[in-house]
Amino acid sequence: MGRGPRIGVFVCHCGKNIATTVDVPRVVEALARHPGVAYAARHEYMCSDPGQDVVKKAIKDHRLTGVVVAACSPSMHETTFRNAAEEAGLNPYLVEIANIREWCSWVHDGPVTTDKAIRITRAMVEKVKGNHPLEPVEVGHAVKCLVVGGGISGIQAALDIADAGYEVLLVERSPSIGGRMAQLSETFPTLDCSQCILTPKMVEASRHPRIRLLTYSEVESVTGYLGNYHVTIRKKPTYVDPDKCNLCGDCARVCPVRVPSEFDQGLSERAAIYVPFPQAVPSSYTLDEVNCLGLNPLRCSECSKVCTVGAINYDMREERIEEDVGAIVLATGYDLYGKEMMGEYGHGTVPDVIDGLEFERILSAGGPTKGEVRRPSDGKVPKEVVFIQCSGSRDPELHKSYCSKICCMYTAKHALLYRHNVHDGTAYVFYIDIRAGGKEYEEFVVRAMEDERILYLRGKVAKVFRDGDKVVVWGVDTLTGKRIEVAADLVVLAQAMVPSAGTEELARKLHIACGGEGFLKEAHPKLRPLEALTAGIFLAGAAHGPKDIPEAVAQGSGAAAKAIAILASPTLTHSPEVAEVDEDLCSGCAVCVPQCPYGAITPGDVAHVNELLCEGCGTCVAACPSGAMRMKNQTDAQVKRMIQVALGGEPVEVSRG
Amino acid sequence: MAAKPKIAVYWTGGCGGCDVSFLELGVALLDVLAQIEIVFWPALVDTKRADVESFAPRSIAATLVNGTLRTEENVEMVHLLREKSQLVVAFGACAYQGGVPGLANLASREDILHRMSTNGFHPTPPPGGEREDAPPELLPQAKSLADEIAVDYVVPGCPPMPPLIGLLFDALLSGDLPAPSHVFAHDKALCEECPRTREDRVLSKVVRPHELIPDPKVCLLDQGMICMGPVIRGGCGAACPKAGMPCTGCVGPTPNAGDPGLAMISALGSLVRAGEEGPGAFAAEDKLLDALVDPLGTFYKYSLPAYVRTGRRSNR
Repeated sequence: MGRGPRIGVFVCHCGKNIATTVDVPRVVEALARHPGVAYAARHEYMCSDPGQDVVKKAIKDHRLTGVVVAACSPSMHETTFRNAAEEAGLNPYLVEIANIREWCSWVHDGPVTTDKAIRITRAMVEKVKGNHPLEPVEVGHAVKCLVVGGGISGIQAALDIADAGYEVLLVERSPSIGGRMAQLSETFPTLDCSQCILTPKMVEASRHPRIRLLTYSEVESVTGYLGNYHVTIRKKPTYVDPDKCNLCGDCARVCPVRVPSEFDQGLSERAAIYVPFPQAVPSSYTLDEVNCLGLNPLRCSECSKVCTVGAINYDMREERIEEDVGAIVLATGYDLYGKEMMGEYGHGTVPDVIDGLEFERILSAGGPTKGEVRRPSDGKVPKEVVFIQCSGSRDPELHKSYCSKICCMYTAKHALLYRHNVHDGTAYVFYIDIRAGGKEYEEFVVRAMEDERILYLRGKVAKVFRDGDKVVVWGVDTLTGKRIEVAADLVVLAQAMVPSAGTEELARKLHIACGGEGFLKEAHPKLRPLEALTAGIFLAGAAHGPKDIPEAVAQGSGAAAKAIAILASPTLTHSPEVAEVDEDLCSGCAVCVPQCPYGAITPGDVAHVNELLCEGCGTCVAACPSGAMRMKNQTDAQVKRMIQVALGGEPVEVSRG
Repeated sequence: MAAKPKIAVYWTGGCGGCDVSFLELGVALLDVLAQIEIVFWPALVDTKRADVESFAPRSIAATLVNGTLRTEENVEMVHLLREKSQLVVAFGACAYQGGVPGLANLASREDILHRMSTNGFHPTPPPGGEREDAPPELLPQAKSLADEIAVDYVVPGCPPMPPLIGLLFDALLSGDLPAPSHVFAHDKALCEECPRTREDRVLSKVVRPHELIPDPKVCLLDQGMICMGPVIRGGCGAACPKAGMPCTGCVGPTPNAGDPGLAMISALGSLVRAGEEGPGAFAAEDKLLDALVDPLGTFYKYSLPAYVRTGRRSNR
């Protein structure tokens, strides 16, 4: 350099995408006259190999000190042109994209379009003049992965990563892995026994030499950045040695405490020392400290007295496990929207108004009724059952605005299994629409409607209330316009899916975002559905949004592949286009610190930016009261100059035929 | 022995505090006075405009001007002093950026004169006096010194603090002069000197100084006082925050802060949290910031003429 900038400008026609509304030769002509521009050219498709060759050749022939490609959004081809420039010997960070497609040709027409394209391109030329060559930041990384959530999605992710040869920490909050799928009776549309297809995977995860299973554990804190996350996990004491416990169950039989079973959705009771379900992994009892009569001082100790193998240890302490991991997969799953929120359906106070998961437990062979359909209030076999879809879903005024996606399918399954179970029973399904998009899903619903003679009524239920031992359902069949009243024995609500409790807290610990409904937010809804916005954190399963089992499994595998890509790379690079502190100007006021969505700034006498954590969003730069924070290659001076050039000067006269 | 440097001190539209501030140097003032020759200082020695007019051009080594420019006479005098001086120093907040009298720019000259004298104020000579004895005409707007003449250096503050005045005389007397336009204060913001701790950087309420006895250790901004510290140069030793009063900005903004009001609005906008999430958050934060009475007087207490373009609308 030294003799002033020599910028090359390359304007793309993008076929007709740009050229229809922008006079491309005119843009080239105008930019060729712009101060500091040494070369200007155009091409039909600048991103094609011949197009890139034009850029590369010009860099060498004209000794360019910077390049502006006027084309589509930088999210499309910035990398393409930066790589091309690097091949030609120009630092890639001296290449910028002027977006004259999404910002210009697609959204305007008429002569102003060409004028605006010229202004956008000129502004980027001014930016490039202020750019400095930068080098990507290189960093080593840990070769272990953390998977949070031991449901089917998390299990699948853990297995795939471990099978690829990397260590996995699989953290599950409850005493057993298995998640929601372990609670289900049978799965749509094949009516496979849910536990039968799940438990082999659970066992595989527990036996896998590279998977460390941490059940009854929660993520306490996460610090660090892509490739180098430092995680602290709190493992609660189970007071039972899993290696000694032989699942004989004597302890639970003598335990004087009975509390509602979480696994059976409160439809049965468990002791304070319990195993959630027979196939639990790890296969060991857990002493639930909260409900035990007392451990310190010991109030009862009946369980210990009857344990012949001496597995019970009241002195067990909470463990804190600290590990460095390269990537994190979040598969924290879902809960059902609370029945108590449904005022129109009895606020959850009517015993025979249950939700879908409760009905799954009733249908399940291992459930509270051993698979016989009996209603909770009096154990009678219900002869008329009403299923209500979209309970809490698709109701922006009162509840959740979104579709919970799986309810149409599992309601069809519920009604069908009910009819298989109670041959003389009648099943009604109230629905708004049937959404059965999926392999063999539509056929399954049709089978329920036609072969199983389930009464599908299109309409919403207005009210559900108790009348004697009946549950009366008032609704409307919008297809016939008739009011419907059913004196049912049991009502099953297809409650909306919501993110599992604690999702938001976990997201805060990880500095990642939740969408408006609290589900974990992906980096891009189309092109980066598995990634959180923070690099190295991936999303799987229903924590990201309502999903059925195949989707949760696919996403688990997908997230695993993303994680493996990090674990397998020799070193990681990070963009150098990050914030930096002018230490001569920073007073340490720390206004920037809480603004950083990535936790990249450490306060002190002067603020310190961790360039590996910084994603270059610029929030701190805007917040800094004394102008001490700067974005590399995006300084205030550059931005001011860009604005001056973009808004200054006379409009370009363009005559168009 | 070389001749002592000739020094002039002049006041325009000020309160006199800047003149008094020299006394704050204490014993050190005697050393300074021994090394300079005062050729003009209306507050201290009996010298007249005619004396200045008789000086040779650039014969004064340095002229220190304090006060905002408010009258035609102020303007004439500073042009005269500029001609006779090698260096001109804007001394104090008024000369630097307009100061507290600069807030008068929020009202038109006519409104100000009407308020001073309900019948309107007309400069007239005193009884029996000559026409030139009449009070000078008020300018339409208050101005900073740099709006009229080239300013070489700035000693900021309202009034300038002894350490900053000391820096000026050290430079003048040693001959080791800083680059033009130098401001004799720190480039870092006042927070650097402030002993208060900054932990929970959230603005969850806005209070005025009389509404709160602040915790003596915690950052005033964190306690809801609009402290200009993060935007304003240090050098004053954070005297006000140490005494439990928020910084009002008399030393002026740090070199990269730009417009101090905009910088502060941006910082407050970043810090404010009304404790509400979701769609209502912005409205709740707006409401919280509504408690900030007199934003212009808070953000531009000493600098309105330098940053805020005020109209000439008459309120009458």
